[in-house]
Amino acid sequence: MTQRIKPQGEALRLVSVRKVYGTEDNPVTALANVSLSLSAGTFTAVMGPSGSGKSTLLQCAAGLDRPTEGRVYVDGTEMTGGSEAELTKFRRKRIGFVFQQFNLLPTLTVLQNVLLPLKLAGRRANPDAAVDILRRVGLGDRLGHRPAELSGGQQQRVAIARALVTSPKLIFGDEPTGALDTRSAREVLTLLQETVRFYGRTVVLVTHDPVAASYADSVLFLADGHLVGHLADPTAEAVAERLTRLGDEVAARRAMSGV
Amino acid sequence: MLSLALRSLRHRATAFVASFLAMLLGAVMIMSFASMLDTAGGTGVSDANVETLVTMASVVGGWSLILVLFAVTSTLSLAVRQRATEMALLKSIGATPAQLRRMILGETAVLAVAAVALAVLPGMLGGRALLALLIDTEQVAPDVTHVFGPAALSMGCGITFVAAVGSAVLTARRTTGLRVTESLMDATAEPRRMSRKRLVGGIVFLLLAADLAVVTATVMHGEGSDAMQTAGQTSIWASIGFALLGPVLVRRVAGLPAAPLERFGGAAGHLTVQNVRQRAHQMAGALMPIILFTGIATGTLYMQDVDSAAIAAEGLLKNDEQKSIETLNFVVIGMVVLFAAIMLINTLVATTTYRRGEFGRQRLTGATPGQVLAMVTLESAVLTVTGVLFGAVASLFTILPFTFARTDTVLPDSGPGTFLAIVAVAAVLTMAASLATAVRALRIPAIEAAAV
Repeated sequence: MTQRIKPQGEALRLVSVRKVYGTEDNPVTALANVSLSLSAGTFTAVMGPSGSGKSTLLQCAAGLDRPTEGRVYVDGTEMTGGSEAELTKFRRKRIGFVFQQFNLLPTLTVLQNVLLPLKLAGRRANPDAAVDILRRVGLGDRLGHRPAELSGGQQQRVAIARALVTSPKLIFGDEPTGALDTRSAREVLTLLQETVRFYGRTVVLVTHDPVAASYADSVLFLADGHLVGHLADPTAEAVAERLTRLGDEVAARRAMSGV
Repeated sequence: MLSLALRSLRHRATAFVASFLAMLLGAVMIMSFASMLDTAGGTGVSDANVETLVTMASVVGGWSLILVLFAVTSTLSLAVRQRATEMALLKSIGATPAQLRRMILGETAVLAVAAVALAVLPGMLGGRALLALLIDTEQVAPDVTHVFGPAALSMGCGITFVAAVGSAVLTARRTTGLRVTESLMDATAEPRRMSRKRLVGGIVFLLLAADLAVVTATVMHGEGSDAMQTAGQTSIWASIGFALLGPVLVRRVAGLPAAPLERFGGAAGHLTVQNVRQRAHQMAGALMPIILFTGIATGTLYMQDVDSAAIAAEGLLKNDEQKSIETLNFVVIGMVVLFAAIMLINTLVATTTYRRGEFGRQRLTGATPGQVLAMVTLESAVLTVTGVLFGAVASLFTILPFTFARTDTVLPDSGPGTFLAIVAVAAVLTMAASLATAVRALRIPAIEAAAV
């Protein structure tokens, strides 16, 4: 872990991404024309009040959902909306996920869970590499355990190891500390930081916790489906203050338009 | 609690469809056959005809009770288990076990009343058709007229209601006896070991079957068609025995192809092996109807075939009693097939629907819909092969001793055609129910499915 990898280029680019839910008569715009670019080796948090479109942004950028309009490029390749199978294959080469609810498979052991993405991709699953990653997240002695036998923090560290095992360019975290106590949350966030610093990955973290966001290099703020701000080298206090102001503004705007 | 029962029935109508269907079909069948008792009580029916009609009614009546009890228990306990979290929630806000039991009983009673009421008209028509069949095959005189009276109504209502309430009591006791934390866990965790009761029960049923097989081969040897009295039920007890041992069978036998599946089955094969090992109890639920279906259908059909061949070999024509036994055998098979199919489809649909969260997590980990379906297909194949294998073994408990008792040879002359047809039905039902449900579960976006 001594050598830092200097990554080059752009890891994620969104061009005029729009996402509209609902029926034709009653459309709900979750994302309105969002464009952004994240260079490789950065750690970015996406924040916003509830209903701001954070989750939609993550799902569209990660290929879990298809945008209504606009383009998404991951590691320089455009994500073309084909079948779910095509999207899955696109994702598993380039993107890793860490979710709030861990989403580990209960029937598999820790090691099997981490090896699964490789097996699914039809790659030769090398247990040594997976064991190595598990050791680095501090679970070298838990390889044969099942998720139910681990604490929440340990489960989330398994999920991080699983996200790292395919060496993806991009890792998305969807409230990864939402179900954890403060201490475990800190460990998980530090691990995410390390994946950026030492493995040269690009991490995008969706959260509403200012403390979690403060671990990122920069924070993007989202409100009503628009990108409304940017904060570099964030502190928890600055993020919290910005978020409160944003919430008030949105509430005022909604009250004005009678929504 | 009754108002809560009614509300949950209305809210979760689909969860109760299978239980309702089992009760409805059971009631229709019981009423049709019980109306033979009313018909026998009509004026001017000869003594021989009365006997035929009464045998028909009582044999099928007893069978229906067992089948309805079995099918309703299986469907109901699944419906209740799917709501384990809801039950745990009710308990955590202060519902006593007795209140929950009353709720489950109330739900079932309402279903049973509706099923019985709807069964009356089809029951009348079914009884009329049955009598026409008996007259056509010259087992009953043509001047006998169909009567649908007190026996049909009271037996139809009584047996269905007793079976339904009995199942509800069994289900409720199992569900509500757990403590709050236990039942919250029960929703996710799988017991690591089979209960002792289940193990002992399985062995007792198998011993009973072995005993009856010996009796058939010795005491009933040379007794002609009468050997069916002991031989017919043997495959049923053996099937129930194997069905009870389901979790062990799944883990041991279905574990045999583990090595080749791991090696050549790709990711789907890998997941299948893990699921078979870790979810033996869940899979045993679906194994049960496959074993019952294969065992009872194969045993009874081959037994009838051997008997018919033996009668023909003696250069005789079937007498009235033999004819009505044949009719009865086919009716029993028809009922078993129908109920086993309901149980099988219901179990698979329920467990597969229940797994959509697991499918979602697999998809988020990088599984394509095709890989998930491949896994479901492999699991269904393992399930079908295991079920058919033990169903076939169970059927031998009937076939071998009966063939020996009737013809002095051990193996019947009948070809494998009937067995292959039975296997095909089991395989098609298992595959179709699992895959159709899995395809529907895959239509939900992965991220939503994983949140379930």
